[in-house]
Amino acid sequence: MAGDYKFDTLGLHAGQSPDERFGSRAVPIHQTTSYVFEDSEHAAALFNMEIGGHIYSRLSNPTVAVLEQRLAALEDGVAAVAVASGMSALFLTVLALCSAGDHIVSSSQMYGANINLFEHTLSRYGIETTFVKPNDPDGFAAAIRPNTKMIFGEVIGNPGLDVMDVPKIAAIAEQAGVPLVLDATFNTPWLFRPLDHGANIVIHSLTKWIGGHGVAMGGAIIDGGNFDWGQDDRFPTLTGPHYAFQQVNLWEEFGPLAFTMRVRSEGMYNVGPCLSPTNAFHLLQGLETLGLRMERHMSNTQKMLAFLSAHEQIGWVRHPSLTDHPDHEVAKRLMPKGAGSIIACGVKGGREAGRAFIESVELASHLANVGDAKTLVIHPGSTTHSHLTPQAMENAGLTDDMIRISVGLEDFDDLAADFDRALKIAGKSVGGSK
Amino acid sequence: MKIDVNGAPVFVSTGGREFDPNGTVLLLLHGSGQTHLTWMLQGRFLANRGWQLLMPDLPAHGLSGGEALTSIRDMAEWCADLLKQTGVKRAHVVGHSQGGLVGLELASSRPEVVASLSLVATALAIPVNPALLDMAQNREEKAIAAMTDWGHGREGHFHDATLPGLDQMNFGRHLMANNETGALFADLSACANYDAGEDAARSVACPCLCILAENDKMTPLKQGRKMAAALTDAREIVISGAGHMLPGEKPDEVLKALRVFLPHPA
Repeated sequence: MAGDYKFDTLGLHAGQSPDERFGSRAVPIHQTTSYVFEDSEHAAALFNMEIGGHIYSRLSNPTVAVLEQRLAALEDGVAAVAVASGMSALFLTVLALCSAGDHIVSSSQMYGANINLFEHTLSRYGIETTFVKPNDPDGFAAAIRPNTKMIFGEVIGNPGLDVMDVPKIAAIAEQAGVPLVLDATFNTPWLFRPLDHGANIVIHSLTKWIGGHGVAMGGAIIDGGNFDWGQDDRFPTLTGPHYAFQQVNLWEEFGPLAFTMRVRSEGMYNVGPCLSPTNAFHLLQGLETLGLRMERHMSNTQKMLAFLSAHEQIGWVRHPSLTDHPDHEVAKRLMPKGAGSIIACGVKGGREAGRAFIESVELASHLANVGDAKTLVIHPGSTTHSHLTPQAMENAGLTDDMIRISVGLEDFDDLAADFDRALKIAGKSVGGSK
Repeated sequence: MKIDVNGAPVFVSTGGREFDPNGTVLLLLHGSGQTHLTWMLQGRFLANRGWQLLMPDLPAHGLSGGEALTSIRDMAEWCADLLKQTGVKRAHVVGHSQGGLVGLELASSRPEVVASLSLVATALAIPVNPALLDMAQNREEKAIAAMTDWGHGREGHFHDATLPGLDQMNFGRHLMANNETGALFADLSACANYDAGEDAARSVACPCLCILAENDKMTPLKQGRKMAAALTDAREIVISGAGHMLPGEKPDEVLKALRVFLPHPA
């Protein structure tokens, strides 16, 4: 082997050595809750994190570990922890870094549940969040306080598609001694690897493009291993004595793995949002073809952008690849292969026309997911972001007429025909074009 | 623990346990550009089974301050100073790669402080390709990438590991990147210039264990066997399927070999 394997090779092979006993080529599904110890000393060593291995599938599992190691390899991280969903990945990250009295600086324009977690759930436990526009690096710098424990955002915001200038914000975070945690779900490591640009922790909803098939939920936390947790006393959860494991200092005993060990030893142990081995297997099947699928996602997205931009029933189209997008230059610099396969657009005629369009498409599916191999559509204002206040809606850049399209892998001509027909119906519903 | 050795602040991991210099002391030495985390999956196990561990970060490595040492002899003397500073009269020395050369030199020059010597993926000499030396001096990131690549065997390149979720290759890269700039070049230069390995080995009288890797590209198995043959009292174990980064690639096998060889703590 000369040099590390490349992306598509790692997507197929990383994290797995064919098992020695049976030689299984596919990753076996270790559908078991627990693992037989060799003896009591072996059990004690595993419980005390002295050696590698598995104890109980809430903490780790061999099938899940292959997925974790494959994701770490693809994101260029030192380790990964796979969990039940993207939301649990975010929560466990916060749990590992923050305690009551701490502070988070977060993008204001992102998935509604992320905003709710910060604004309504964490605040009840004494963790305060300052929200900042994702494309305002100076705003991030100004919001950092001595008790700030993480900066968070979505590389490509959902559903407004704002793009964070990751290198710039990473430099601000580094200067302040605060880790930059990024949700990289919409870009996937195929389009952009945040850790290569100064971010410190990446989280994913694996349910989306990583799986791609829409059959399994999952999330992941990937540790960049590139943050100096010991530079001051800001992170006692990592540099102070751990309440278990003989009071060890995780930073001293695990170095670049300190954060991961905290997530595993506290988040998985005390909270337990574990990923099922079968879901890990399904997600691995998707991950094997991520590179191939992303090529098609991006080519179909370009065609869809051209189609929508030219369609008389569409009032506006938003995507970072378009020159009129406020973050176009950032997107072009960071993601030369494209800025994801989500498109936001407004159907002429507002909410009523949007509803008519959503209900009239036949090939595209109306559902609350993105990143599927199949094309998906939704009206965020009445679904994914419906629990936001009008002010939060405005802050998140949401409008009443917005339709979110997750462009799939279908033959584009079929998609265009489906959209054209549904848009004409939408136009008729509000007395527009025939 | 954090102590001063020769006026510089030094971090020495004790495996998370309080250190007793009167117990059965193990001094575990890391290789070029590495840190005490080389022994992440052996150290705490041994410390929790009664051995007294000293796993230092050499000066300018990991969590230690100071200037990087520039010769194997200086490193051996520094280890003797560390033992003195911590009140240890004799230690069982375990060294990986460059740490093995330091162990050989220490056992030869200061036999009174070395009770036994365990040499993990090392050889009597570790010649360093001039191109690698040049990279270490001028493009350290490339040198780290090259060493991580050459240092790992097949499973490492598949990013597989026994610790769930760990990417051994990337972990190795980041661990090396955390050292002070120039530390890697100093280490590699020290290895390249050390030519007393054979004489040192022939003078070592304490019991020795050579744990060698089948697919070691940096200290090839043939050279490891030559080292074992030069030692008066040496056992040899070859671990299959592993490259040079044996303690990380095959942690359980290395731990097992050490446990069989090392005297059980009183």
